Amino acid sequence: MKSWVKSDEEQDKKIARRDFMSGSASLAAAFTIVPSHVLGGSRRVPPSEKLNIAGVGIGGRGAGDLDEVGRENIVALCDVDDKYAAGVFKRYPNAKKYHDFRKMLDKEKNIDAVVIATPDHTHAVVAAAAIKMGKHVYCEKPLAHSIYEVRKLTEAAREAGVATQLGNQGQASEETRLACEFIWDGAIGPVREVHSWCNRPISPRGIDRPKETPPVPETLDWDLWLGPAQRRPYHPCYLPFSWRGWWDFGSGVLGDIGCHQLVSIFRALKLGYPTSVEACSSGVNSETAPLASIIRYDFPAREGLPPVKLTWYDGGLMPARPEELDEGLRFGNADENLYIGEKGKMLGHRLLPEARSKEYGRPPRVLPRSPGHHKEWINACKGGEPAGSNFDLAGPLTEVVLLGNVALRMGQQLYEKGLKLYYDGPNMKVTNLPEANKYIRSEYREGWSL
Amino acid sequence: MKETERAGKKQKSKISRRDFMGAAAAVAAFTIVPRHVLGGAGQIPPSEKINIAGVGIGGQGGADLRELSSQNIVALCDVDSRHASGTFKRYPNAKQYKDFREMLDKEDKNIDGVVVGTPDHLHAIVSMAAIKRGKHVYCEKPLTHTVLEARMLADAAREHKVATQMGNQGQAGEEVRLLCETIWDGAIGQVHEVHVWTDRPLNGINNVYWPQGIDRPKGEDPVPDTLDWDLWIGPAPMRPYVGNRVYNPFVWRGWWDFGTGALGDIGCHSLDPVFRALKLGYPTSVEACCTLVNDETYPVASRVTYEFPARGDLAPVKLHWYDGGMKPPRPPELEDGRKWDTNGQLYVGSKGKMLGGRLLPESRQKDYGKPPHKLDRSPGHYMEWVIACKGGKPAGSNFPDHAGLLAQVVLMGNIAIRPALKNKLLATKLLWDAKEFKFTNMPEANQYLTKEYRQGWSL
Repeated sequence: MKSWVKSDEEQDKKIARRDFMSGSASLAAAFTIVPSHVLGGSRRVPPSEKLNIAGVGIGGRGAGDLDEVGRENIVALCDVDDKYAAGVFKRYPNAKKYHDFRKMLDKEKNIDAVVIATPDHTHAVVAAAAIKMGKHVYCEKPLAHSIYEVRKLTEAAREAGVATQLGNQGQASEETRLACEFIWDGAIGPVREVHSWCNRPISPRGIDRPKETPPVPETLDWDLWLGPAQRRPYHPCYLPFSWRGWWDFGSGVLGDIGCHQLVSIFRALKLGYPTSVEACSSGVNSETAPLASIIRYDFPAREGLPPVKLTWYDGGLMPARPEELDEGLRFGNADENLYIGEKGKMLGHRLLPEARSKEYGRPPRVLPRSPGHHKEWINACKGGEPAGSNFDLAGPLTEVVLLGNVALRMGQQLYEKGLKLYYDGPNMKVTNLPEANKYIRSEYREGWSL
Repeated sequence: MKETERAGKKQKSKISRRDFMGAAAAVAAFTIVPRHVLGGAGQIPPSEKINIAGVGIGGQGGADLRELSSQNIVALCDVDSRHASGTFKRYPNAKQYKDFREMLDKEDKNIDGVVVGTPDHLHAIVSMAAIKRGKHVYCEKPLTHTVLEARMLADAAREHKVATQMGNQGQAGEEVRLLCETIWDGAIGQVHEVHVWTDRPLNGINNVYWPQGIDRPKGEDPVPDTLDWDLWIGPAPMRPYVGNRVYNPFVWRGWWDFGTGALGDIGCHSLDPVFRALKLGYPTSVEACCTLVNDETYPVASRVTYEFPARGDLAPVKLHWYDGGMKPPRPPELEDGRKWDTNGQLYVGSKGKMLGGRLLPESRQKDYGKPPHKLDRSPGHYMEWVIACKGGKPAGSNFPDHAGLLAQVVLMGNIAIRPALKNKLLATKLLWDAKEFKFTNMPEANQYLTKEYRQGWSL
């Protein structure tokens, strides 16, 4: 049986166990807020009924997510930026409007589920608050801003037994399934090397903090936008969207795209935590992600599978064009995964060269197909099977993605000391360079906690 | 005897030869009769000094002249009298010029060799003018600004039998000799993969030696009195002068019109040992990726991959170049705590790996010791050229036998990142036909083997 099928089954079992456990075990948990299931738990919504959904961070990607779940009831909307969110506020005239997600969660007792699409640095505080109140959570990728936050969210969701889904919608695709099925069918033999790249330009990167301090627009609650991040003066260079390049708010290209692109690789090769990671870049500072980087992970042998080297490239860099790729076929235009096996190569879910792909045809179908990424979550919220990128699966993936940024930010020291980072995944610890651990958990501003 | 007196005496002793040549030159079809027709370039006896002119002397050119200061520095030329002022002062008896053409005209009889340390876009123009007059040439790396120029200089140097040397000093070192001898000894078996990198244009993790990935600045600044902007532009398309170290000095390296990026700056240094050790010729293909690139400057970071065919008993080789901070993966044989240098080469063989000239891991190097001594040691990079000028053996990085090819291959890498070709380059590697001297699968790439010269300039 293939890994993520098995995971799903295990998930089912876990859910059953959770329902059983929820009355007692969670009370003893060292968690700041009393879990809502103690007070009645998440509402069991039958498939025939609609979910009551709240959106937090709705101006950008959140709007798209709400569209996708718009057949349910959108009952509340929250954004700290009235101007950016104006269109979405208008689209759902019956939804209650909030600036502060904490107030919204307090006041709107009828919320079943929360869709989170804030900047990365506020994913965890919003998601944790919702989970603790027994709400189901759909959270944009990357799941959180630090490895520690991801771990806490994963644990909290498991404990609360809520339905979760990360916003890496590619996981639900046919392509992801085909990639797994080709590899599991042995089409390219054991895989020891994978390359993944994305040349999405995210700006600004490779720059310093601005010195000007323009006034905060009236339509923006800057303090809430900063949330748990350290206070700094407002500047339009941070939002909307451009926070992705700033370390305090975003996670660079790897954080933005890694959870999309690496999910196929994780599933197909059944990856867990790597043993080491190294990074090089076009220059990295304490403020913003670099313009371009290469991050290299070493994964150990797993379940009879050989060790794997996974290389991530961004900023326009990519591996050399494989000899097996037919002349004339474009390579490396945007984003892609290249699997190198002992018996062949696969680009995305296409065997190389084309002749081989045609000859091979389709691999045996062993994975169930998805009803759609957002639909998976809706189904899970209504008691169906866990979504394909529920936090038990998305958590470890996001941790590995964010570990790449730890290596990137340790760039100078890694370089000067002549080291890779050796990583103890289960314990979230870099073992050979303790200074790196400061990037595994960030300090919250006073008044904010998970 | 003072250096200047010595220089004066020597000049007198040469006058008869030069007068004779001057007369003969008038009948030459090719501006000047090659010197070898009249007895060749080996006319300066080893006991004499050579008379050297420097063109482009403010930066590395000045450093080159210092290395050659055992010889006579008879003339100096620079378009930037401020940048060159230190070097002008250091050689008070040398004639001073702004325009190398005027210098070559007026000092023709007094000059044996020319040291070219201008920006890249002028290398070929100056070197070719000197070679055609039968002057020996020492030219900074990369040899030229375009692939065709490098080939033409190599051909011209061969034809005119002048002594040449490119400014990649490392070629004369012990390390490259040990590297070759170790590889030829079979210490790492057949080498099929080489990784070469430089941090440049990055200087440390948050600084740059010169900017790349930027656009042309708007506006124009008054040209300083100390700079002849028209001559600085030389064969390049004219553009408004902008001060504040946008184009000069030194930072011209990042601009397509003047420099050759990090690959051009460092490639001729760090690919030199690879060419020697693996006896490389032309590649069969070139392919690259890079950060956003425009028509003004080279990208912030790039990776270039060359494929070389089998050569006799030697296996085909893939050569990967990285710049702008990109590096190959740390090999497991590299001990924890052992730093990657800012510039380096990693050789991957069927029986082991080498980092620069040392076997990995270091314990393997210690066991191995030294390879059998096969190569002559160098009297020094600059002295090699001086000896060649005096009729001795050709310098290690002379144009016809080595530097011309090396520079051509280096510069091909820059064609593979040309923004105008980007769309097509996604669909193929560039395939190179050495005999036809062209890329066979993308005709529009061949235009970048050469460039258009501004009116009034030609090779």
